[in-house]
Amino acid sequence: MNPIVRLAAAFGLLLAFTCPAAAETRTLRIASPWEITGLDPARSGYIFARMQVAETLVTADGAGRPLPGLARSWSVSPDGSSWTFELRPGAVFHDGTPVTAQAVVHALERARSRPGPLAGVPIARMRAEAGAVTIRTERPFVSLPAFLAHYETIVLAPSAYDDAGAVVAMVATGPFRVETLQPPLSLTTVRFDGWWGEPPAIERASYLAVPRGETRAAMAESGQAELVFVLAPETVDRLRRSPRVVVHSQPIPRSRVLKLNAGHPFLADPRVREAISLAIDREGIAAAILRSPASTATQLYPPSLPDWHVPGLPPLAHDPGRAGRLLAEAGWAPGPGGILVKDGAPFRLTLRTASERPEQPPMAAAIQAQLREVGIDVTVAIANSGDIPAGHRDGTLELALFARTLMLVPDPLATLLQDYGPSGGDWGAMGWSDPALVEALHRLGGETDPQARARLRAEVATILHGAHAVLPVAWFDYHVAASRRLAGVSVDPLELSYRLGGMRWAD
Amino acid sequence: MGGLTRALGGRLVQAALVALLVGIACFAMVEFLPGDQAYRIAAGRYGEDLVSTAAADAVRLELGLDRPWWERLGAWLAALARLDLGVSLVTGERVAHEIGHQLGHTLLLSLAALALSVLLGPPLGVLAAARAGTAWDLAGMSAAAALRALPAFAVGVALTWIFAVRLGLLPAAGAEGPAAAVLPALTLALGLAAASSRVTRDVALSVMRSPWVAFARTKGLGEAAVVRRHALRNAAAPVTAYLGIQLAWLVEGVVVVESVFVWPGIGHALVHAVVARDVPMIQGTALVLGLLFVLLNALVDLLCILIDPRAGERRR
Amino acid sequence: MTAIPETSAAGAVPAPGSARGRRALGAGLLLAVGLLALAGPWLIDADPLRQDLRAALRGPGGGHPLGTDHLGRDMLARLAHAARLSLGLGAATVLTAAVPGVLLGLAAAWRGGAVDRALGALCASVMALPGLLLVLVLAGFAPGAFWPLYVGLALASWVEYFRVVRAVAASRLARPDVEAARLLGFGPAHVVRRHLLPDLVGPLATLMAFGLAATVVAVSSLSFVGIGLRPPTPEWGNMMTELLPYHAEAPLQLLMPGTLLFATVLGLALVCGREPS
Repeated sequence: MNPIVRLAAAFGLLLAFTCPAAAETRTLRIASPWEITGLDPARSGYIFARMQVAETLVTADGAGRPLPGLARSWSVSPDGSSWTFELRPGAVFHDGTPVTAQAVVHALERARSRPGPLAGVPIARMRAEAGAVTIRTERPFVSLPAFLAHYETIVLAPSAYDDAGAVVAMVATGPFRVETLQPPLSLTTVRFDGWWGEPPAIERASYLAVPRGETRAAMAESGQAELVFVLAPETVDRLRRSPRVVVHSQPIPRSRVLKLNAGHPFLADPRVREAISLAIDREGIAAAILRSPASTATQLYPPSLPDWHVPGLPPLAHDPGRAGRLLAEAGWAPGPGGILVKDGAPFRLTLRTASERPEQPPMAAAIQAQLREVGIDVTVAIANSGDIPAGHRDGTLELALFARTLMLVPDPLATLLQDYGPSGGDWGAMGWSDPALVEALHRLGGETDPQARARLRAEVATILHGAHAVLPVAWFDYHVAASRRLAGVSVDPLELSYRLGGMRWAD
Repeated sequence: MGGLTRALGGRLVQAALVALLVGIACFAMVEFLPGDQAYRIAAGRYGEDLVSTAAADAVRLELGLDRPWWERLGAWLAALARLDLGVSLVTGERVAHEIGHQLGHTLLLSLAALALSVLLGPPLGVLAAARAGTAWDLAGMSAAAALRALPAFAVGVALTWIFAVRLGLLPAAGAEGPAAAVLPALTLALGLAAASSRVTRDVALSVMRSPWVAFARTKGLGEAAVVRRHALRNAAAPVTAYLGIQLAWLVEGVVVVESVFVWPGIGHALVHAVVARDVPMIQGTALVLGLLFVLLNALVDLLCILIDPRAGERRR
Repeated sequence: MTAIPETSAAGAVPAPGSARGRRALGAGLLLAVGLLALAGPWLIDADPLRQDLRAALRGPGGGHPLGTDHLGRDMLARLAHAARLSLGLGAATVLTAAVPGVLLGLAAAWRGGAVDRALGALCASVMALPGLLLVLVLAGFAPGAFWPLYVGLALASWVEYFRVVRAVAASRLARPDVEAARLLGFGPAHVVRRHLLPDLVGPLATLMAFGLAATVVAVSSLSFVGIGLRPPTPEWGNMMTELLPYHAEAPLQLLMPGTLLFATVLGLALVCGREPS
């Protein structure tokens, strides 16, 4: 081996020294797992929004409160259904043309006509006026600004579209503009001097999609990237000890949940669903696989969402003994091989999970072993994330493990409306619904009184907690490694932006 | 030069067969795989947060996935005859355009790996042959066995750990600058060199025991000169021919190594296309990978004939 | 078609001197691995599927002679159970690939002419298909199951046997004694048994030995790109992929399945007197 290593080292050195010196302007290099799958806003719009290439009318602070974006301000009529968004005067696209209300309406109409959160908003009509956009909803809809912060609504210049209306160039309005784009892996941007706000200190940035956690960690550790997002849990401790980087960890509004098909004959009985919940050792999973005991879920919403987290709810517990008793009450008796049997049928289920998030397969293996302890035989099927809604649609899904965003837009209502409608949702309830919940969600859309809203939120969280339709397993810690050469680093828990604008070089 | 034209003609026939086989394999894939293609494509396009039944229905409508299979296969074959590989279902880019981008990277990586492995493998093999039966020989064999027993990604991660994290000499990932090619190429080259060093050893050993080498020794040539003048030259042809077999391993290794090092090549694209059920992309990448293998093999044929003109005649 | 170097196809160049010692070392290694596979699951008390999330990635000791994996499962028990599956999958793949490969190789050499050319072209095209694609296609039918890996790898590797057998058989069939036997009217069965088999056994044995290791590594690479055996099945290749993310904190565990595979490869190489390829 030795001569090989020596030869390789020599070869490496040779190349390292013949490499051209770094360019004069420094580039802030970013690595994240997500690939650029296209220019259409609904596809990889989040990458262009986070890289601050593209902007939406509204944005939000870390707590989800709406902030002005491309809209300088907005107002709503007293009946809560007529909105006016004032555009920033002087805002220009990267091609130098001014941002018009027509361009904004075009972007919004386009988003609305495609499947996505905005398609679920009861919009009656949108109109472009002089320097403003007016939107009329069919009924009072308080959360509209949050929906306008979603990346599918990023505003692009007329020159971004071809004749057929497809996006062919990322001509947007952000403080950075695209310099080179090589989908699916990389993107470089430079500062756009025509931006309406305070010019950022960073002049250039690059984005590299690095799907493997080990590789991302190595890039942070070796100084090949200044900002590395979504660190794999097992690499976090090691990076914390690295002298080169600071690891920022914070909970984000996303929960890892186990979806149950309540329409399945085995799972229709609420006692069985509760037993499954009691069989899961959430603390063990959070400690061993996620390396974050604090992310053990005690209810759907983490404490970092104070508006939705209900401190009074009894925490989800791990109690295999009680799980066994509940299963016995539901008519399941021990059978051959320790697997429960009822009416001659063994308790066998298939658990689908996606490999896109590498911690999910081991979590599924852990849940498999824990359910085996109470006599449920689970087969783990590692699939693509599309197979979960597909199984929901054709009814073949039994159990599914995934990480669901709680804030599709900076207001949990958007996720709730999609997941817990009268007929469930692709990423939410299956074969289960509750008229009281549907009613509460509907009223939350139009209610303006803060106290009434708080009561409705608590009601929603409590109903979900007791139904065991979707079982929270763990909350989500977002780990970011930032180079010590960067100053002013902060992490957006809503993942709307990488906040490059506030950063500068420390050396 | 009859051998040469015959060899290259054979390669052309092979290329046509490869295209046909890839077409059939990918067609089978489209038709018979379980799971809903529209949902997978929607997941590839919109990511986990936005893939939904509504998104999948829109995809199905847009791409005409509910057309009968023979219509879709016919369309692909007809397009292929016009050298048109179609449009990626996920990104909406032309497949030929995307592959054109990736092909350069994959070619660069494979050629660098081949070159590195030629620098490493045969010299170590000759060294082992010269010291056959000693601890050196056994160490060489053990190293080769170890490299064969470790998957390429483990070797890649180990190299990254040494050269990128510990020593800080080389980039851990990406494709920026020539330095970025070193680690992925080295990972592939080590696997290739493990095999070629042992083949070289065997061949060199049998050459060195042959009568004419014994004669050279009795002529009074020093051991070094014997190795250089006789053993090396006579061992070169079979070792080069052996490289041809190894190319299959290389093309497969590229897939894993590109994933580890985020190398924007065809192998990387193939894996993603399979996960997302992006059929035109699968067909295109598999086709190009197959043809790449044929091309590299044709190069090896040429090399063999150049090193030892008799080889061209001996081949059928 | 690329000619296979005669020397390596025809097998061993015996190393002088310590040949017997090497064979003994090789046999010892194989015996140790074989013992682990055959007797391990009987002797080792621990359940390879039993998890203890609070004792994950422990070093050797404390009831776990080789420590625990990332879900707190006993490494020794997993390695022993995995040995059965890995070696079994390897052996099954190798045999399934070898039988058609040998038969077609013999047919090509025997008939020559158009049959030979057609089979040669088919074989070259199969080699050019990325073997990974074949397995990917099959794995799509039954994700996580055992049979697609087995069938896919066998389909991708029969070519090697075909090439070697064809090359060796063609050269032997051209020998005067074999030609005489054919002229005397002896059928293929007789000629193959009496004249070809003795020369084929050596190279085939080595090919099959290393095909076994290649299968395990291939399973590992496949699970790396997301197409492996479904959890919690212990298999050496899968274990390497599962433990890779923990390479910095538990390098020992990651090395264990690799070491066993290494011992198998080296043992086979030493016993067969040929090198891995």
